[in-house]
Amino acid sequence: MNSSSAEADRRRRFDRIVAVFHPDMYRYAAWLSRDKSIAEDVVQEALLRAWKSLDALRDDDAAKPWLLTIVRRENARYFERRRLETVDIDNLTASQAALLAEAPNEELAELREAIFELDDDYREPLVLQVLMGYSTTEIGELMGLKQGAVLTRLHRARLKLKDNVAREERS
Amino acid sequence: MMNCEDYRQQIAADPAFDGGAGHLSACAECQAFRFEMQSLNVKIARAMQLDVPDLNIPELATIDQANVVPLAARAQLSKPAWFAVAATVMLAAVIGFRMFGFGVSYDSLAEEVLAHLDHEPYSLRVSDKPVTNARLAKVVPANIAQMDHNAGLITYAQSCVINGKTVPHLVIQGEHGPVTILLMAEENVGMAEALDGENIHGVILPVGTGSIAIIGARDENLERIEKSVVNSVMWST
Repeated sequence: MNSSSAEADRRRRFDRIVAVFHPDMYRYAAWLSRDKSIAEDVVQEALLRAWKSLDALRDDDAAKPWLLTIVRRENARYFERRRLETVDIDNLTASQAALLAEAPNEELAELREAIFELDDDYREPLVLQVLMGYSTTEIGELMGLKQGAVLTRLHRARLKLKDNVAREERS
Repeated sequence: MMNCEDYRQQIAADPAFDGGAGHLSACAECQAFRFEMQSLNVKIARAMQLDVPDLNIPELATIDQANVVPLAARAQLSKPAWFAVAATVMLAAVIGFRMFGFGVSYDSLAEEVLAHLDHEPYSLRVSDKPVTNARLAKVVPANIAQMDHNAGLITYAQSCVINGKTVPHLVIQGEHGPVTILLMAEENVGMAEALDGENIHGVILPVGTGSIAIIGARDENLERIEKSVVNSVMWST
């Protein structure tokens, strides 16, 4: 195989993976950063890194965790560089508010806001489990946590959301 | 045997937890808590479905997602194809009900089923790697169905939301590519509903008080898969 043909194959492989997993990458980045613009920046950086190191991905079946790991690192780098402050739910930027504004109805908007307000330690494992379909073992591997710690965080995250839903229903 | 505190910690950490059956059968409060957690989980999944902007990477040449076929062997269901399919589904017009999921409304169960295939294109990959029995048992609890690889080589198993209900979504490798199976225990369709598109065909079969959607490539003979899947299902309701 000549080099241009190999490069075209490489590009086709990359395009195929991106087409399938770009939505997951964006949503993961958005829930990590809680900011639409930052999520788009993080995904762009992650895709550039993925393109450069594509040959390290031996098996396309492992593409999703590989890409999400890159997104997670890029998100951490972004916040290290910018030294951003924590999100104040009562004083959101337009880009942060944009994520909340997209909810299709009031009930989901309130729940989305409650997820938005969860501490990073609780929100991330919940996103990985509910949205990305990760097992608690896989979450532990990605986040560097023991399974017991993952279970505790997931348990607490859901109870917080349950209390929030109950509070909203009462009011 | 588990106590209430242990059980609730487990189910709050993972609503798909299917252990503690002995305790659950004897404790109405934990049954209610389990239902509450599973309902909450469906809402969380919906709330997390953010709209995804178009991809824009100036440093790389434009990636044309519209022309990417996720699988070499997959007869990809294009948007026009499933719109065409929706138009051919008969039951929808009769029932005339609307469904809401992830901010999109569907005119029928069939339309939502077909749209779901496009939501999870990565499920439709040609593979010889079976999901583990543990994964299968997690996605398809024993009180819904007894599924094993005798029904076909199952290469994908995921809990999904169809019409607001959590549904086991499986992919079996057929002779002409992946075949999607949706076990919809709470969707009573009354009569079999044919799905017919440009590249795919399938059926929503009434099974007891629920239904099963089976969709494969145009060339796929689905009868064998239909029989094995239907024989393996045992709704709890």
